[in-house]
Amino acid sequence: MAPLLQLEQVSKRYPGVIALDHVDFSLEAGEVRALLGKNGAGKSTLIKVLSGAITPDSGRILIDGTPVLMSSTSEAFHHGIYTVYQEMSLIPSLSVAENIVLGRWKKKRLFGLLPSIDYDAMRATARAALEQLDVHLDPDQIVSSLTIAQQQIVEIAKALSFNPRIFVLDEPTSSLASHEVESLHRIVRRLAEQGRAVIYVSHRLQEIPLIAHTVTVLRDGKSIGTMPIEEATPERIAQMMIGFDWQRVHRKKSETLGPVRLAVRNLTRKPLLHDISFEVRGGEVVGIAGLLGSGRTELLRAIFGLDPIDSGEIEVDGKRIGTPNPTTMKLLGLAMTPEDRKRQGLILSASVQNNMTLACLDRISQSGILKSAVEKQMVNDMVESISVKTPGINVPVGTLSGGNQQKVVIGNWLNTQPSVLMMDEPTRGIDIQAKEQIFELVRDLARRGLAVLFVSSEIEEVLDVCDRILVMKEGRITADMSPDDVELEQLLALLMEESYA
Amino acid sequence: MLKTGEGQLAPPRIATAGSRSAQFIFRSGLLIAVILLFIVLSLIAPNFLSERNILNVLRAVAFNGIIACGMTLVIISGDIDVSVGSAVAWASSLLGVLAIKNGWNLELAIVTVIASGVLVHLVAGYIRVRWNVPAFVVTLALFISLRGAARLITNAYPVTPFPSYFSFIGGGFIFEGLPFLERGVPVPVVIMLLTFLVFYYISTRTVFGRSVYSIGGNEEAARLSGIPVKRTRMTIFGITGFLAAFSGVLISSRIMSGASNIAEGLEFEVIAAVIIGGTSLAGGLGSIWGTFLGVLFIGLLSNGMVLLGIPSFVQEVVRGLIILFAVLISIWQNNLQKRVARE
Repeated sequence: MAPLLQLEQVSKRYPGVIALDHVDFSLEAGEVRALLGKNGAGKSTLIKVLSGAITPDSGRILIDGTPVLMSSTSEAFHHGIYTVYQEMSLIPSLSVAENIVLGRWKKKRLFGLLPSIDYDAMRATARAALEQLDVHLDPDQIVSSLTIAQQQIVEIAKALSFNPRIFVLDEPTSSLASHEVESLHRIVRRLAEQGRAVIYVSHRLQEIPLIAHTVTVLRDGKSIGTMPIEEATPERIAQMMIGFDWQRVHRKKSETLGPVRLAVRNLTRKPLLHDISFEVRGGEVVGIAGLLGSGRTELLRAIFGLDPIDSGEIEVDGKRIGTPNPTTMKLLGLAMTPEDRKRQGLILSASVQNNMTLACLDRISQSGILKSAVEKQMVNDMVESISVKTPGINVPVGTLSGGNQQKVVIGNWLNTQPSVLMMDEPTRGIDIQAKEQIFELVRDLARRGLAVLFVSSEIEEVLDVCDRILVMKEGRITADMSPDDVELEQLLALLMEESYA
Repeated sequence: MLKTGEGQLAPPRIATAGSRSAQFIFRSGLLIAVILLFIVLSLIAPNFLSERNILNVLRAVAFNGIIACGMTLVIISGDIDVSVGSAVAWASSLLGVLAIKNGWNLELAIVTVIASGVLVHLVAGYIRVRWNVPAFVVTLALFISLRGAARLITNAYPVTPFPSYFSFIGGGFIFEGLPFLERGVPVPVVIMLLTFLVFYYISTRTVFGRSVYSIGGNEEAARLSGIPVKRTRMTIFGITGFLAAFSGVLISSRIMSGASNIAEGLEFEVIAAVIIGGTSLAGGLGSIWGTFLGVLFIGLLSNGMVLLGIPSFVQEVVRGLIILFAVLISIWQNNLQKRVARE
């Protein structure tokens, strides 16, 4: 008998990248398949192909052995494939039932006259879907009052009301607490018992044996292998995810370290950060390795005073701050380039020049009056020193490439002459050459005595660039190590496992 | 000001690149429209090109123009203020009550009125930032209650008479006997031009002005860069309160009474001038220079329609359509520029 779902030699190319490279994939009814791979390995592209969001350049998709065309999400629904994305698609202000039947309301006529939504039918549909999952949720409850885990269940119930044969769950547990994960697992098992197939994308390696029957690893757009769960040890999976062609780049490290520039003591922000303590010295690049949802971004935000903290202390150059806020932290010499440069780092409609002096208006002004000659000079110098490629400093920053936009964000903060630079995902979405320049820049800043805190979901980058690595998991720092003492596979396994022997 | 400043006055933040000449036309589109309107009216509207009429046009827009300077900052910062008309009425009424009914010294009354205008708007600004209430809602509440307060203290009757010397700032002339300007220039016109100059300077040359643009362009990025977002927003509110109260004093001087029924609908005329001037309601983009042109454009258009004997209801229809048209033009231009930039 033909498998339920089969992909044959599916490829998808984007300019400059092969996102999927002749991928073969097959899935049986009642099977739970874990899909693993690093960022950029092709997991999301594969999911998009299955959900009909993108059409592959070549290859075939077969359902029950029959080739099908999936060029839209509605066609994917039609073929019984439903994808639950990481970002929820629920409308927070509507009830559970309204969300489950969104857009498919049954109509009736009030007093045989006025057209109206049939709320009873709607509740019945919702209840049926929730019962299939064996969960007890009030269909009339407003979604925004539910926990994230409950919302996820509503999302799955919504999917179930389409009665799909194949579920794709994209990192469903990344934002759940561990006790909530169990109920999700129960639901996944139940879906499989009903004879549905589940494709389960997760970063939490330790949960895979609990639910998956088989594991497929992707790397660089290729399917590296599929194996039964019994054979999938963490070491083997990590090795498959990384491959053997990766070479560690040993960058010139700072020779001497300066005094402690940034000290964090017992920082707690419930429920995201717990009792975090560490120090960063001048000349030192400290990397924070952690998966999505580990609290790495929240840590930087808390240090910079963007989010309130429950307890703990932060010291910059020996000055102790109890309640940080961005303005004082900046004055103390702290700088932070945010995770999402377009939403948080830049004013896209404003010029390169204005974006590069956003954080240092006090340095280019006197009694509130801007000194435009000083500003121009400063911006031009910075553009040259960190080699921003731009047709001029007056063009809108939104017209630059991603790498150059990132450099503008960094330049903006370097113009404040900081002593500590915190960088959140500075290489996200930029090309390899620009990445390399940013790594060199980071090392160069360290040599000039800056303390750098470097966050990246690319673990190779952390190993390459940093003098020291803090491993973060579930809001805690679980290890503090030198990159020379750890191999990439170990570090990756460490991040994905609950406990590391 | 029209000619000499044009080069430097070009707004520094146009969203997309393009050829220099295309950019020049884009930035100067409104200037060209104002000039064309002027030429057309000179040719077809009787008595348009007289000294008296031109000064009338300028005086007619002066009171709105002064407030439009503050409104430009409000809108660039991504907010909106629909309360300015009521704030003008409140200022005028309070001035009448203090100076006439209660017999206060006029200067002291003026200072008090302006202080009350600033204070009310600062409180509104505080509520805006402290609880993150949309500016529209806060100022809508002010729009209703300030008008009510003005009627309350005056019983909705105009309060008269002010001492006659008070008429100078709203109705007087200075620079008499200059060539071509025998009667001189109306004082409010001079005040409006000075206000535009000051606000041009503030918006382009000060840390505060840069902060206003930054906050409107991307509040989160501004906050992360340590720009005091809340303080800046409150300051903008305070400035608008100041300008509305100040304009209310000038109008009181012009009509020589403290009245609660003046400036009805003024807020929308002011917002219209700012929007026609190319300032984006989405925030982050716009200029004082554009607002100046927008104010002139509306003034010329209204005056021309009156001179041409167009019925006043028709005038309203035309003014409404012009606003829509102005916004559509800037959207089309933006799309066009984006397409050019992509190619």
